[in-house]
Amino acid sequence: MMTMKDLENKLQKASRKQAALYLLCNFVSLMLITAYAAILFSPTILNVLPEGGDSRKQLYAIFVMALFGCVIFTIYAASLFFRKKSRQLGILMALGASKKRLAPGLFREVALLSGVSSLAGIAAGIPFVLLLWKLFRLFIVDTGEMALVINFKCLFVSAAFYLLVSACACIMAYQYLRKTNILDVVQEEHKNEPVKELGRWCGPLGIVLIFAGAVAGYYSGSLYMKFLQAYPPAWLNITYAPVFIGLYLVMIHTVIHGWVSHKKKPYKNIISRSMMKFQGKQTVNSLIVSTVLIAGGCFAIFYVPVLATGQMVNINNNEYDYAYYYRADQEVPQKQEVTELAGTYGVSLKDWQDCPYITLGMDGYEEIQGENDSFHVEYSPLVGGGDFLSESSYRKMTGQDITVPPKSYYAVTGVESSYNLFTNSNATKLTNMITRETIDVEFKDYLHFNLMTGNKNFYVLNDQDYEKISKNLTPVWNGSLVYFNVDGKDSYDFADTFFHTFVDSFGPECEYPRYYDPVRKIAEEEKGLIYWGDTDQMTPVSYEETDSSDFRLYWAYMPQFRILDRNDFMTTFSVYLMAFIFVALICFAAAIVIGYTRCQAIALNNRYVFDDLKRLGGPPAFLSTEVRRQCLIVFRIPAVTGMTLMTLVYMLLLYANDNRLSSGELYSLLICLGVLAVIAVILFFIYRYTVHRVESDLGINKTNS
Amino acid sequence: MLYVKNLQKSYSIGKKSYPVLKGVDLSVAKGEFVAVMGPSGSGKSTLLNCISCYIPFEDGKITLGGQELKGMNENQLAKIRNEKLGFVFQDFMLLDGLTIRENILVPRIIQGNVSHDAEELADRLIDLFGISHIRGKYPAEVSGGERQRTAVARSLINQPLIILADEPTGNLDSKSSRTVIEAFENARSQMDATIFMVTHDSFSASFCDRVVLLKDGTVYRQLEKNGRRSAFHDLLLDAIKEMSGDES
Repeated sequence: MMTMKDLENKLQKASRKQAALYLLCNFVSLMLITAYAAILFSPTILNVLPEGGDSRKQLYAIFVMALFGCVIFTIYAASLFFRKKSRQLGILMALGASKKRLAPGLFREVALLSGVSSLAGIAAGIPFVLLLWKLFRLFIVDTGEMALVINFKCLFVSAAFYLLVSACACIMAYQYLRKTNILDVVQEEHKNEPVKELGRWCGPLGIVLIFAGAVAGYYSGSLYMKFLQAYPPAWLNITYAPVFIGLYLVMIHTVIHGWVSHKKKPYKNIISRSMMKFQGKQTVNSLIVSTVLIAGGCFAIFYVPVLATGQMVNINNNEYDYAYYYRADQEVPQKQEVTELAGTYGVSLKDWQDCPYITLGMDGYEEIQGENDSFHVEYSPLVGGGDFLSESSYRKMTGQDITVPPKSYYAVTGVESSYNLFTNSNATKLTNMITRETIDVEFKDYLHFNLMTGNKNFYVLNDQDYEKISKNLTPVWNGSLVYFNVDGKDSYDFADTFFHTFVDSFGPECEYPRYYDPVRKIAEEEKGLIYWGDTDQMTPVSYEETDSSDFRLYWAYMPQFRILDRNDFMTTFSVYLMAFIFVALICFAAAIVIGYTRCQAIALNNRYVFDDLKRLGGPPAFLSTEVRRQCLIVFRIPAVTGMTLMTLVYMLLLYANDNRLSSGELYSLLICLGVLAVIAVILFFIYRYTVHRVESDLGINKTNS
Repeated sequence: MLYVKNLQKSYSIGKKSYPVLKGVDLSVAKGEFVAVMGPSGSGKSTLLNCISCYIPFEDGKITLGGQELKGMNENQLAKIRNEKLGFVFQDFMLLDGLTIRENILVPRIIQGNVSHDAEELADRLIDLFGISHIRGKYPAEVSGGERQRTAVARSLINQPLIILADEPTGNLDSKSSRTVIEAFENARSQMDATIFMVTHDSFSASFCDRVVLLKDGTVYRQLEKNGRRSAFHDLLLDAIKEMSGDES
């Protein structure tokens, strides 16, 4: 004898196809979120990406976008499921089933579906990330520090996400049950969801708002600091809000009006336009989410070519094959030893240049943090250290004919740069850190030499001033700078051996990162404070891990060997690159699932329209064209908008670095465009597959046409 | 059996309210087969939906078997729908995942009372409406007429006070329509069913004992069958013509 529970079970079995879409969406979003969270929480990533650094912030920002996207499309999939389910509910209600009677079964079904799919998604997330990471290591790059360690705390994020989407599904189920009008429930499936119609002005206004929001968001932080003398709080990111409002308006314009005038041919595409318009709410929502995800994916994937090109261009533009510097108290191999070592690898050296440099204290203004993130600017006689060459040494090392007037100094920046953010261009006093003798100086201008910027940023002093201020400096405050070229073919093995020999010759007193400032340490200690570099806040570097990203990127005396840097680029940046590629894959995967789901929804919601068109004599080719038009909007609009937006954002970011685009930056943007072309091709094939599936669901058989 | 007194119902679109039923009065006696006809927009389906308690109404009174429907809570209304009313819809409203026999038993399953007797009754109804050959099939596997006869059988499984049928032949060809009307006649003759049917089809309506003509939300005229069906059909056509003539 059949009971209500048996009936519900049987109906659930019958509506497996409707549930499948919801299960798929829930599964995919939980899998992606778990995988992303696993990466974000992984010590492998956290150890390499500096805390508070841009890379980590970018990963978090894209995670928030992916999270937002996954929540939206899971809720959307749930709403589709309930729309189909509502007919069953409506019939049972019409036949006298009370809401009280239907509620347990419905909630049981929702809990079962979301529970099973979420658990499966969470369970698949970890193997997914491990597998993908393994593939990266197998096919792209493999280093010791890439061994992926999973911190299972990431599952808390998945659990929270699961609770959120389950709660949303339950609320939705409750809302459907609460509807007092049974006819509404029965007809829910056929209901249109027209979006609020706005005039043709909404598209152009949207574009303006997107740009206004991007500029407002980008500059609001610095304006806030300038005018309020405080560090910008997180809520200031709200200034980016116009971007999203603009995006919404652009999508509405696209769905309602389209960007092509229909005045001349008002009946052209009228069916697909009206279908799109009357499912407007859903369409606009999914287009926005897909756009945000594609933009996030582009942002992540752009990191790779921009970083790689930047590094490669820098390496190629270095003036010498080998460059290094060391403190005078360190016993590093000298010219003869280096030449002998090179000889064992069949390498001969030429153009050997070396010169001394000194480290001095510089004065300037520093930001002193107060309460509530406020700060004030205070003069400090020892704001930080600087490494100085004499003008004659600079001339010798660079071959540039320069003269430095007395009581002035120059800072060195790259050949293509107009300034150097990491140098002090406001100093008025330089201090000998042993005698505390000072000289008054003023900043003159920038000199340009690639090898004297980056790892260590050099300054240049007048010869007499240099002579005067360097008196009685101990070897700790003295150093040497060495450049040389290779005569003929270089050898990676020589470079690698020399690098390790060089590092081995340093004592533990030099085992610190380049942002550790000995001058600042003295200044802080003289004030009775503990220098932050001596606290746990500073990420140390270790001679034990000379091949790690941390050591290669941040060691204070890291040499620049062209062949080594070029060959080891992938291993040095492996974790950065793989983390961003991974994130991009997650964003693109989520966007693709949304596009596919949306197209499936079009097939479900418009089945009756297509049936009517068939009855009215619409041939399969015509129906197929209508399907293609619908799907094309779903895939093309987010792809074009997301890719365009992110390309512009990247251009803005690169331009804002030094108010110009260097040749390396232009080259990296070109590669980004190439990457976009590849993504567009992939999306096109997925679009084709989706069209094929939708046609098959709608029973459109083109071969009979 | 069923009394409708001064029933008023309007729909709101935006801030504007459109009255659909403007004081409908009618009654249906036990064992009667009554049809409601009228042009589109006359309020036929709204009247049926109000009696079915699917949509709330503003004013008036509906009494079914001595019980007034207005003011009942959700659970009470659900019980009325399940036990006192039987429903036949234009688009059948069968559950796709259940067999024909299971669909017939759905009201009993909802009641939580699928006894041996209920199963016997279901089998009897299946035989009565000539659908025994499809009892194990699913709705998607049978014809429109068979689906609608299944719906008629389902409406009778709880032996309700009245069957409410909304355009039951609206989606059917003439042959299938005839079988459905025959099913109603059988239900009346064999099970003493009372039927209240909304229809556009004067031929189907001509099988009824009485036809209520509705126009602009009020009862325009009521016609009773006194004699042969074909004569009643002619009378109906004339009355409809007259009603349309009034309009022009």
